[in-house]
Amino acid sequence: MTAIVSRAPRPRRAPPVPLFLFVGSLVLYVGVALWTGQTSQLQTDGWVGLLQRMVALGIVSVGQTFVILCASIDLSVANLISVGAVAASFIMQGRDSMMLPAVAVVLTISVVVGAINGAIIAGLRVNPLIATLGVGLVLQGLLSASFTDFAGSVPQAFQAFAYGALGPVPYSVLGLFALALAAWLTLGATRFGAHLYAVGGNAEGARLAGVRTNLVMVSAHVICSVLAGVTGLYLASRLRSGAPWVGRDGVYDLESIAVVVIGGTLLAGGRGGVWGTLAGVLLFATLDAALNMLGVPAYPKLILRGAIVILAVAAYAARTREHVA
Amino acid sequence: MTTGALALEMRDISKSFPGVRALEGVSFDCAAGEVHAVCGENGAGKSTLIKVLGGVYRPDAGTILISGTERSFARPADARAAGVSIIHQELSLLAHRTVAENVFLGLEPTRFFRLDRGAMRLGTARLLQRLSSTIDPDTRAGDLSVAEQQIVEIAKALAFDARILVMDEPTAALDEVDAKRLLALVGKLRQQGVAIVYISHRMSELAAVADRISVMKDGRKVITAAASALPTDRIVRLMVGRDLAEFYPPRSQAPPGPPLLEIASGGNGVLAEIELTVRAGEIVGVAGLEGSGKTALARAIFGDRPFERGTVSVAGVAREIRSPRAAIADGVGFLPNDRKRDGLSLQRSPRDNVLLTLRAFAPALARAAGGAMTDSIADSLLRRVDVRAARLDGEIRLLSGGNQQKVIVGRWLARDPKILIFCEPTRGIDIAAKAAIYQIMRDLASRGRAILLVSSDLPEIIGLSDRIVVMRGGRIVGACEGGASEEAVMALAVDHHGDAAIAQPTEAGAAL
Repeated sequence: MTAIVSRAPRPRRAPPVPLFLFVGSLVLYVGVALWTGQTSQLQTDGWVGLLQRMVALGIVSVGQTFVILCASIDLSVANLISVGAVAASFIMQGRDSMMLPAVAVVLTISVVVGAINGAIIAGLRVNPLIATLGVGLVLQGLLSASFTDFAGSVPQAFQAFAYGALGPVPYSVLGLFALALAAWLTLGATRFGAHLYAVGGNAEGARLAGVRTNLVMVSAHVICSVLAGVTGLYLASRLRSGAPWVGRDGVYDLESIAVVVIGGTLLAGGRGGVWGTLAGVLLFATLDAALNMLGVPAYPKLILRGAIVILAVAAYAARTREHVA
Repeated sequence: MTTGALALEMRDISKSFPGVRALEGVSFDCAAGEVHAVCGENGAGKSTLIKVLGGVYRPDAGTILISGTERSFARPADARAAGVSIIHQELSLLAHRTVAENVFLGLEPTRFFRLDRGAMRLGTARLLQRLSSTIDPDTRAGDLSVAEQQIVEIAKALAFDARILVMDEPTAALDEVDAKRLLALVGKLRQQGVAIVYISHRMSELAAVADRISVMKDGRKVITAAASALPTDRIVRLMVGRDLAEFYPPRSQAPPGPPLLEIASGGNGVLAEIELTVRAGEIVGVAGLEGSGKTALARAIFGDRPFERGTVSVAGVAREIRSPRAAIADGVGFLPNDRKRDGLSLQRSPRDNVLLTLRAFAPALARAAGGAMTDSIADSLLRRVDVRAARLDGEIRLLSGGNQQKVIVGRWLARDPKILIFCEPTRGIDIAAKAAIYQIMRDLASRGRAILLVSSDLPEIIGLSDRIVVMRGGRIVGACEGGASEEAVMALAVDHHGDAAIAQPTEAGAAL
């Protein structure tokens, strides 16, 4: 049987971005540690410290990956993180008995916020940038009206989330990697994941193929918001209390978007994955650690981060051109 | 004439939109194992009929019967579940996903919540085999050629166990060879008992593939008859109310003027040894298969992907054309083959679109004084190309393809270029608009301009051009007179020796 069409030559595949970023980050970290003579950073504690730096940004960025993959975006995560942290410590007030209720309340708030984000975007057809910006402002307004400083505290038992460890490895680091693994399986091996990529790649095409695109969009936003809520819980555990500025100060909204993009996920949706995102988080953590070792102050760090985001996207654009041309 | 039981029956379908009666009491049927072609000008109601059938629109009146049972579709998923699959004109594949993921989109098999990739791959391979295709299910859809993507779209439709397959201009983006293969495939599906509703503007296809033909005009069905009883000229008359003879304007009898475009040993990553001269008053057709480099040639002349070797002269003066802006400044104009992607600001008005190039070259002060901004200039340009629109300040995406194309032509008339390159100027536009654009092209030529017509539509190239050059593998491999036979052109376009044509340049040419 002969082929019905002549086969176009296949373009060669470029090496996987996540691997490149992982290796590059590690080389950078080891190189700076050796160069500055801070070899203690290469002991177990140094590595654990590096991984620990990844946790907060890592959790929220995994969520951000989901929404960006379906061609949406979430600017409300930073403020939702603040809400989660404050709500957790305010409800707990240092009492062990209130741990479960507090977690339940934070997760419920997150689900509701995610559903609202998704409903505004899918139902009212509001541009996701505007929709989540608006929801984020509302959240911050509500929070600032009610709290002006650290509110309540978390009990000792809850601090295990941030400070507990299995051997040398903190629970939080294990949790982040378990989360990434789960996200990877969800994206790559489930029907929901396939539909997520489909909505991001071509929403109308997906709808005509029978995919319930609105449901997919809302689900992605719920996942993103829940992970932002979890990040808030983690920060409350780590800071031992929640303040209404923790999310904003961490610039989790813009940084989560930046690492997703550095990791090779298209801002336009439809292509990318969670390992790239995690590699982007590792790169940011490594930069922080390396610049600390070099004794560089905070503002040059920002400049460097900005430059890296732009370089990364320019590199992807150049690669795409190579494929197209 | 029908070969099996009626798979589809649409009875007295009516559908109105604010201000428009898109369909008025249209009845339509298609039997299993039959190809029923639908033709009509843009705006005749074909797309609305298809969208009603596909569950995109709900009809105001009328009933749809699938295999004799009345059905109503609230959304596209309902129609698919009932066995109706529509292959839309704009391909809807996910470029970054594999063929298998695309084929099974919306019905992914799972095992314990996990995607059963093995089953998807196997199912896809089976469907593709049924279509006599050897596309690898693990290929990224974006890496496929347009023709291959069309096959994947068909496989996707069959994955839903489609008993009724609607194909909306499936060959619009294909060259002659791939189009012929696709038609053979349609014949094969018919043998397998699929009811096929086939929409096309290409008259020669209808005779080749259709059992019955229905002609629509102004929201009504004019006729349904056996294909053998409807010769092409009669179809055209029914569609537009005039004869095919008037279709291509007569060639000029005057000898061509001085050369306006001369290319000597032009080449770049895709093209090699291009020797081409176009004279004032001439329409030169550029024919070739997909990937032959004919689009690349147009883009090289226009400076979008410029020549890296050789010389280009415009009106006898050597020019270095490194960018579209430089090309325009030197008197070259270009109508892109994908007018929605490369030609129009879809959300802006016909006026804004027609003034785009004029404004791009207007001095800043003139802009402030309103020179290039005035509606009267825009309106006179739009009148010259006979754009018909309810509002000249509405969004251009609401206009028909033919009127959109006329706006782009008007944009170039404003600059009055010496050389105008038309890439697929009539792709997906209706017969009346086609004739109008052909007339504009001929008028431009007789006013001393040089016209280059790059097209995959062979009858168009043959009917309109004074001379034809044929491309293959990034080179010009031959030339014919205007009015040459399709066989003569095709003989040059396909490689008889089956060797060098798939050389390196073709790869990049196919991607353009």
